[in-house]
Amino acid sequence: MGADPVAAVTGDRPVGVAIVDDHPVVVEGVRAWLATEPRLTVLATGDDPDAVLRAAPHADVILLDLRLHGRMALDKLAELSAAGRRVVVYSEHTDPQTMLAALDAGAVAFLAKHEGREHCVETVLAAASDRPYVPPALAGAMVGDPRPDRPMLSDKEREALLLWFQSMSKASVARRMQISEHTVKQYVDRARIKYTRAGRPAATKAALLARAIEDGLVRPEEIGIYRSQATHDRPTP
Amino acid sequence: MSADLNTPAHPTDAPEAPNRTSVPTPREPDSPATLAAPAAVAHASDRGARIAAVAIALAWHVAIALPAVLSARAEFAAPAVVLGAWILVAVTGAVAGVRLLQGSPLPPWPLAGLLLVVDAAVFAAAGERQLFTAANWVWGTLGWFFVLAVWGRRVVGLIALLSTHALIALVAVLVHGPDPADVARYVMYVYGTFSLPVAVFVGSTVIVGLARERAAVSVAGHAMAAERDAAERGLRERRDRLALVSSAAGRVLGDLAGGQADPDDPEVQRRCMLAAARLRRLIAESDDVPDPLLHELRAAADLAERNGLPIDLVTIGTPPPLPVEVRRRLADPLTGTLADAREWARLTVVSGPDEVVVSLVTPDREGPESTGPPPGEHDDGPVQYLYERDGNIRWAQTRWRR
Repeated sequence: MGADPVAAVTGDRPVGVAIVDDHPVVVEGVRAWLATEPRLTVLATGDDPDAVLRAAPHADVILLDLRLHGRMALDKLAELSAAGRRVVVYSEHTDPQTMLAALDAGAVAFLAKHEGREHCVETVLAAASDRPYVPPALAGAMVGDPRPDRPMLSDKEREALLLWFQSMSKASVARRMQISEHTVKQYVDRARIKYTRAGRPAATKAALLARAIEDGLVRPEEIGIYRSQATHDRPTP
Repeated sequence: MSADLNTPAHPTDAPEAPNRTSVPTPREPDSPATLAAPAAVAHASDRGARIAAVAIALAWHVAIALPAVLSARAEFAAPAVVLGAWILVAVTGAVAGVRLLQGSPLPPWPLAGLLLVVDAAVFAAAGERQLFTAANWVWGTLGWFFVLAVWGRRVVGLIALLSTHALIALVAVLVHGPDPADVARYVMYVYGTFSLPVAVFVGSTVIVGLARERAAVSVAGHAMAAERDAAERGLRERRDRLALVSSAAGRVLGDLAGGQADPDDPEVQRRCMLAAARLRRLIAESDDVPDPLLHELRAAADLAERNGLPIDLVTIGTPPPLPVEVRRRLADPLTGTLADAREWARLTVVSGPDEVVVSLVTPDREGPESTGPPPGEHDDGPVQYLYERDGNIRWAQTRWRR
């Protein structure tokens, strides 16, 4: 299992994380965040993705700073994702185009650097099990996606994304939409799963989609054909 | 540009209770007036040409044709027809001229048809002796009325009418058994009747086109200059704020490094939060020419921040051009709530072509409601306002839908 990075992490073994960032202070900060969570262990850090992966070939999740040495590492991201590496992009560049481009390239999640410890831990844990996690900044990028070929989201999914982006509190979104917090999360996650169809195919996207179907978050026909959207807008309570 | 944006202000010289901002907006949406300017210039130019054409036609008809007709009255084959036709054309031409100047011309082809019928009748009624005299008034006058009839259309229509006129004249010349001198005269007359009306017609079209073009070029130039000014102003503002942010962040970092500031001190943490929030906002500003709505919200955020409130302003998308009223209804309720915010605030704007949603979230606390409208949902025209507090957060949202 360890040799296959796409295989979902199971059992009691902590999730192995590799951190790629060219600012040592950020690496240390993220390492400190992750250290507070016993289910996570940092295997390697550095500023060169290849070197870091040589040091930790079995890392389950790679936290990748999108801007390395002044260059956007979108190509590297696509390469790693195509190879089935679960990459969580984190960046201070939170303009929607960059975030959506990262998703298109196959990133499992996008985290804004200022979003803090809680979101970071949640995102890495979700990524390790091929489950989506949508931090508020990413929700904003998805709800404001202006591209004509963007995935078709239902009204409820859009509203849940919008309110989550605005309030950063699922409890408040649930109260506002008069649904349970669990359902809010389902709407948000389903929207994210629809994005696995955008951009080029990647092993990570297939894994996210497969896990979502396995979890009953979406049905295969919902993802394949978007025309029956409205009638399928019924998440389990 | 407002002074509060240009001058790096220290918290102490900030206004005490900012609750409304009125900031001059850097760029208004393209108003219909700006877009219509070239058309308006072209219209004015065209109007001048119309007046000239109507004046030429009527003056020629009255000042040159009428005396000739009256003096040669006895020598026509059928004087009543020639005179009646003159009166008919005078009346019709006057009506056509007035309607043309009012911008609602008579239907061109019925009018042209009537003129051609008059043409044939006058040639027939003038008789052989008056064929090439000024008394056969259709030679000189009718071409100008053709111009009025087909004003604003393509020149081929006018040429077709003048050609038909030439054909009718040719028939008249041939019927009377022409000698070579008559044919030469005919050619000369046809040339005369063609050249001037066509020249005026084509000339006016060209002048109108040039005027339109010049006006469009000038409008585009002005728009570009305005855009450049706004961009430069935006850049200047951003530079000023970068200086402000750098000094604030630099001070707190310096104090931390020098050991004068204790990271556990809540006041130091607060200074760090403020500096970080400012930096984030500055990084997030990607628009070269700030949108008026975002500009207003940014100004409100700056004001609140100078009173010590760490505030995040996140914008997604660019708002479409919105009327001032809609912009006011989107921004005002939130800037009111912002004035009462404590601890932190998150201001977000999500814009699409048909929807703009602005939201302000602040921690809920004991105490009276904010100065914004009361809780609940309110529809203010096309803008919906929503305010609620749930013990955790106070949440104000305005939403415009097309």
